[in-house]
Amino acid sequence: MIKFEQVSKTYPGGHNALSKVSFHLEPGEMAFLTGHSGAGKSTLLKLISLMERPTVGNVLINGHNLNHISRKQIAYIRRDIGMIFQSHQLLMGKSVFDNVSLPMVIEGHTRKTIAKRVDAALEMVGLKEKARDLPITLSGGEQQRVGIARAVVNRPPLLLADEPTGNLDPKLSMEIIRLFEDFNQAGVSVFIATHDLGLIARMKYRTLTLKQGRMITDGLSQAEEDMY
Amino acid sequence: MSILFKGRKQGASSKKIGPLQRILMFFTDHLRQAVNSLGELYRAPFAAIMTIGVLGFSLTLPSTLYILVKNTEQISSQWQQASEISLFLNKNVSEANAQQLVVRLSVWDEIASVTFISADEALDEFQRISGLGDALSYLNENPLPDVLLVVPTSKHATPISAGLLLDKLRKEREVEIGKLDIEWLERLYALLNIAKELVLLLAVLLFFAVVLIIGNTIRLNILNRRDEILVMKLVGATDAFIQRPFLYTGFWFGLLGGVMAWLTVSIILWWIGLSLESFMELYQVQLDITGMGVEALAVMLGVSISLGLIGSLISVNRHVKEIEPK
Repeated sequence: MIKFEQVSKTYPGGHNALSKVSFHLEPGEMAFLTGHSGAGKSTLLKLISLMERPTVGNVLINGHNLNHISRKQIAYIRRDIGMIFQSHQLLMGKSVFDNVSLPMVIEGHTRKTIAKRVDAALEMVGLKEKARDLPITLSGGEQQRVGIARAVVNRPPLLLADEPTGNLDPKLSMEIIRLFEDFNQAGVSVFIATHDLGLIARMKYRTLTLKQGRMITDGLSQAEEDMY
Repeated sequence: MSILFKGRKQGASSKKIGPLQRILMFFTDHLRQAVNSLGELYRAPFAAIMTIGVLGFSLTLPSTLYILVKNTEQISSQWQQASEISLFLNKNVSEANAQQLVVRLSVWDEIASVTFISADEALDEFQRISGLGDALSYLNENPLPDVLLVVPTSKHATPISAGLLLDKLRKEREVEIGKLDIEWLERLYALLNIAKELVLLLAVLLFFAVVLIIGNTIRLNILNRRDEILVMKLVGATDAFIQRPFLYTGFWFGLLGGVMAWLTVSIILWWIGLSLESFMELYQVQLDITGMGVEALAVMLGVSISLGLIGSLISVNRHVKEIEPK
């Protein structure tokens, strides 16, 4: 699903965010990406969502080299990737329904389809009753779930999450991870960046660890724990 | 259709819908966005009214001047239609010869009508209106010549062809002097031409100003909604999709500004018309200031909507691209 081939990213000014990173995430796989802040997690995700371009190397999604994607095509690529952010990136002045329906509106679905799919997405994250509320009136965990509903509303084959549990307590974090597991079981590939090692330790998922821009481990989370 | 995942359908293509429904959806989508943009203006009425006012007044000035110039032109052409060539005949031409000349001239293509005024008639009239009264009867003989008043056809009433006709008439042997007072008309025409150029220049300058003002207003709108645009880009909105509401805002600015300009010009012309009425009575000219009909409305709306769209297009092309998620 996601394949990195010797990818390096150097920002203007000479900071090496990633050096020769290679890995392959199979379709239908769920994996974690960890490392200290500044290790390059966000940069790696940005390369997948085309917010940044690699300096050297290839990033492939489903066999398509992202280096060959033009600026105009980026929008269409992002429609295939459900993205979840630590800062939620919700429109605070619009209702939960409007926030979740945004990807569907952009794709130009009919009103009926939109209403149906948004309802289904909000049901999955347990926020069906809050569709008319403004995100600002919701708790942090609820806001994150609105973000997740928005990410899955157009049923993308790939979910990317950048610190989705960053501001949540362990119990809420676990709920969010369980949501991702549900989507994964439905066949969606899930890739989660987090520095919450305690959370990963409780599960047996593949974990990729970055340190100063290099991939230092790639394996089960059990092995990961021995490192620290 | 998805680029990355073959077979994964996106958007409107995910459901089988007929071409008619697709066209309908396209229009309802646009209509919805147009109404939304209008709603945005309504929610910030003060800012909207200021922008619309700038646009409206900027269009009012050149439109008013243009219509005044156009009307002056029309009035002067009325005067010119009435313009006559006066032919003063030689003293030794008998009245019979003069009548023959009248018959000869009236068959010319260039001439609409010829009127013969004998020297006696002219003297009578002069006596009546000059107020000299009996004083004139002390003259030994009538000093006035016979006169022919020649009215050219409308085709030959322009200063140039009327001048040519005058030259031709002067060659008739009975004619001593021919007069066509068109110099002042030519001067008026030259002045009107200059006025027209000035109006055009003024219009172009003001149009530029309007485009810049609209562009700047839209730029501020875009920057105000920066966060929203970022989020939209993150979930896969194309530039075109993000630009559309701003283009509609430009369209509404143009439309409302145009309507405002039309109303203002109409009021100004009505106002001027009132004060001109008495003035025109003195000159015995019928004056109806015309040109504010449906056609003028269409032209003004066309111009102002184009200006609104151009301004927002320039702004949108520059600034929506600049906002990229980092």
